[in-house]
Amino acid sequence: MLTLLSMFYYICLRRRSRSGTRGEALTSRRAVESGQRAVLPVSVEVEQYAKEVLDFSSHYGSENSMSYTMWNLAGSPNVYPSSGDFTQTAVFRAYGTWWEQCASAPQRFRRIPNGFHSQDYIELGFEEPVYPTAVEVFETYYPGAIVQIMACSHNPFSQSPPTDVRWEVLWSGEPTKALTPQARQFSPKIKHINFPTNLLRLEFNSSLLDYYTELDAVILRGVKDMPMLALYKMPLIDISDLSDSEEELSDVGGPFRPRGDGRHQSTGSGYFDKLPYELIQLILSHLTLPDLCRLAQSCRLLHQHCCDPLQYTQLSLQPYWPRLSDASLGHLQSRCTLLQRLNLSWTGNRGALTLSGFSSFMKACGLSLVCLEMSCCHFLNEACLEVIAQTCPALQELNLSSCDRLHPQAFTHISKLPHLRRLVLYRTKIEQTAILSILTFCTELKHLNLGSCVRIEDYDVVASMLAARSRSLRSLDMWRCRNLTDRGLTELVSGCRMLEELDLGWCPTLQSSTGCFQQLARNLPRLRKLFLTANRTVCDSDIEELAACCPSLQHLDILGTRLVSAGSLKKLLQSCPGLLLLDVSFCSQIDIRVVQELSGLFPNVAIKKSFTQ
Amino acid sequence: MVVNGQTPVCTRSFVSGDNMSVRREPSGTGRAEPNGRIKADSQTGLYPETRRQGMLSVLSYGRLVARAVLGGLSQTDGRDYSLITASYGFGKDFRKGILKKGMCYGDDACFIARNRTADVLGVADGVGGWRDYGVDPSQFSATLMRTCERLVKEGRFTPSNPVGILTSGYYELLQNKVPLLGSSTACIVVLDRRSHRLHTCNLGDSGFLVVRGGEVVHRSDEQQHYFNTPFQLSIAPPGAEGVVLSDSPEAADSSSFDVQLGDIILTATDGLFDNMPDYMILQELKKLKTTNYDSILQTAQSIAKQAHDLAYDPNYMSPFAQFACDNGLNVRGGKPDDITVLLSIVAEYTD
Repeated sequence: MLTLLSMFYYICLRRRSRSGTRGEALTSRRAVESGQRAVLPVSVEVEQYAKEVLDFSSHYGSENSMSYTMWNLAGSPNVYPSSGDFTQTAVFRAYGTWWEQCASAPQRFRRIPNGFHSQDYIELGFEEPVYPTAVEVFETYYPGAIVQIMACSHNPFSQSPPTDVRWEVLWSGEPTKALTPQARQFSPKIKHINFPTNLLRLEFNSSLLDYYTELDAVILRGVKDMPMLALYKMPLIDISDLSDSEEELSDVGGPFRPRGDGRHQSTGSGYFDKLPYELIQLILSHLTLPDLCRLAQSCRLLHQHCCDPLQYTQLSLQPYWPRLSDASLGHLQSRCTLLQRLNLSWTGNRGALTLSGFSSFMKACGLSLVCLEMSCCHFLNEACLEVIAQTCPALQELNLSSCDRLHPQAFTHISKLPHLRRLVLYRTKIEQTAILSILTFCTELKHLNLGSCVRIEDYDVVASMLAARSRSLRSLDMWRCRNLTDRGLTELVSGCRMLEELDLGWCPTLQSSTGCFQQLARNLPRLRKLFLTANRTVCDSDIEELAACCPSLQHLDILGTRLVSAGSLKKLLQSCPGLLLLDVSFCSQIDIRVVQELSGLFPNVAIKKSFTQ
Repeated sequence: MVVNGQTPVCTRSFVSGDNMSVRREPSGTGRAEPNGRIKADSQTGLYPETRRQGMLSVLSYGRLVARAVLGGLSQTDGRDYSLITASYGFGKDFRKGILKKGMCYGDDACFIARNRTADVLGVADGVGGWRDYGVDPSQFSATLMRTCERLVKEGRFTPSNPVGILTSGYYELLQNKVPLLGSSTACIVVLDRRSHRLHTCNLGDSGFLVVRGGEVVHRSDEQQHYFNTPFQLSIAPPGAEGVVLSDSPEAADSSSFDVQLGDIILTATDGLFDNMPDYMILQELKKLKTTNYDSILQTAQSIAKQAHDLAYDPNYMSPFAQFACDNGLNVRGGKPDDITVLLSIVAEYTD
């Protein structure tokens, strides 16, 4: 009897172990539960705050902090409904046109479509996929920067690799500027989509704003079942949708190449073939890339014109990031042999571009490439950088900003590009050895951005290397470098006398008492831009030295010092007639009355005074 | 509660083995938290235990013993603990019991926060001397506490490392655009729900008591540089770095302690400890009978009130006055100061 029982028990045990671990059981239970919930009436709307910030292009805060960083956008509001400049919010790195005005800014690409305004983006993951009915953004300071809200069909929290990733625009608009810096809840009317989503992307353009925009939280409202509305809408063909679609981009040239009997219809080009070749080329140069590709399919003559490599000396694929794939690069490849400037920023994520697609394009088109913009390209790996180093011998500009998943080892390949003049490594994991070897071999560097590079251990060493090797340096961005001291700064300014732009924002280890800022002013007579943001030691004598030595100063940021008085500021404003931007936020001696008075006396200068209420 | 959830597992397995796996899941996990604790229990300890019992003894006995074993186990470490906390305090200038902005009493600040894994409390006492430099001392302590609260709420901490909370809280103060000045003592108490351990850190003369059965079983150590000058976190104005006392957050005294259900934890600033000796505090705590929030708040109120009254009694020989006399100063009476009291009871965790 007992044996029988124990055998029976053993069988049970086997079954139990086969039925899977407890963890699996739990998830299956959850699945059952969620299945039950799905049976609920359609009208039940789910409201959720962002669960996680997945990706973003830039932020004001430091990488290992929670002040002014993009991660603050997850969860419920911290500040709303208050308005003001608070640490708990998400803030981008730039605003207005101040950064674009600088010499260090990249040249604008031609053929940017009219509707593309985005400068920054953030991607947010939500707990549960829903059919969105509303998106609400809590903007707590200088609202108006949102230009696009998109939804993705891919679930960022699923384990499976992304396949067939679709992005739909829920809302898009022009950059605006709110009348006041007051907080607002932005909830535009959104388009209904026919897939559930828990991944939103918000794109921003802060160029019209008077100060940094601050965001507090994002709500995604939606229903679990496809709303009937969307079902009805589906079969309708939306004209605007089609005209915007870049699907043709991927089969560009396809219909024409194989057709051998094209010559039979060649006489029908009307008067177009009477026009000089160059004139047609000039006309075509005003078209956006998708239009160019569409036109190529209209007739043989225009096909020839549209495929002329001279039309593709500069190519910005950034506006088309949602649909760019290996295949589309492959189709463009044959036309881009004279390519000089290429913008691949934001493209290729979630498996859209691969090493093989990228390297075959670069092999075909890299020879004359001068400028390569690749910010936030998370498909990049060490092998990709090796390909760039091998295929682009003439490269002068490289932008890898916010490629924060790129392995530190990869950056050593950059040193094989001897003609580099502009290098942007903002928010990357570059390490000290790599930057030192880059500085050793790339001696023509003019613009260098090392902002928020947290892996560099000793910025003083980097600064002295810069002083020794990069004598022609024009701009240097050391935003939030942890440990640059007066020793490094002194060496830097005595070596790089050509410096015009210097960003030393949030470098807390620089002490004015060592005289380093005064020495900076004396050594850099050509200085146009100086950011000493949140250096608490900047004092009157520094400002007076700047006034005396740097007459061409245009942008100055001395946010957060208690030691600067109105008198020295007035002196500065008088002796720097070209001054355009002066940020004196949180300078305790400069109250709003002083700012108003100075603004009245110097109307050409934008004097910024942020507030926290 | 766990017992109820667990026992059907073994009983059903005896009775109807076949559909056990189907029926077991909802009953076994239905009332448990989705946190893996059940998993650990059932897979490592409990299940083999019951099996052995079942095979060795007669059926019914086995069931009974299994139940007892299960019950015993869950009694000791099955349940999660949490803190029920009430706060009360007084600002020095008779701004009685009113929170200024956030949780502030005068220059004192405090926070009560909870996270998935832990309950965290903190008090900070802004050093009043900064008022002479035109700096509001409460700004520093309040910002420090608010920052720590955010760190906890966003899960940017490990319960076993309260010094870490203080360190990153202090670091975040430096990341503020506002050029903060000031200094503050700080005390942070973390209860790890699962392990039932109380992790604490204390910098300066604020502190906490753990009271069990009417006796103090664990307490913080006071850290002072010299009389009436506690250890303190500070941000000094430029040029005065060497002059202003500034201790690193790592200098905080940290400890860990196992708590039991019903333990009382009193966390307070020096305004309380300087005016009320232990025996008076214990006397007040004896009145606390139930674990509901209102009665805790009431007790916290009466403790804070009593300390407040004593602080303004010129003839009372307060612990502070006693300590002053030990240091060769002839002082009598209470010590008027901001008083912040956080009173917590260790209770079973409920959602």
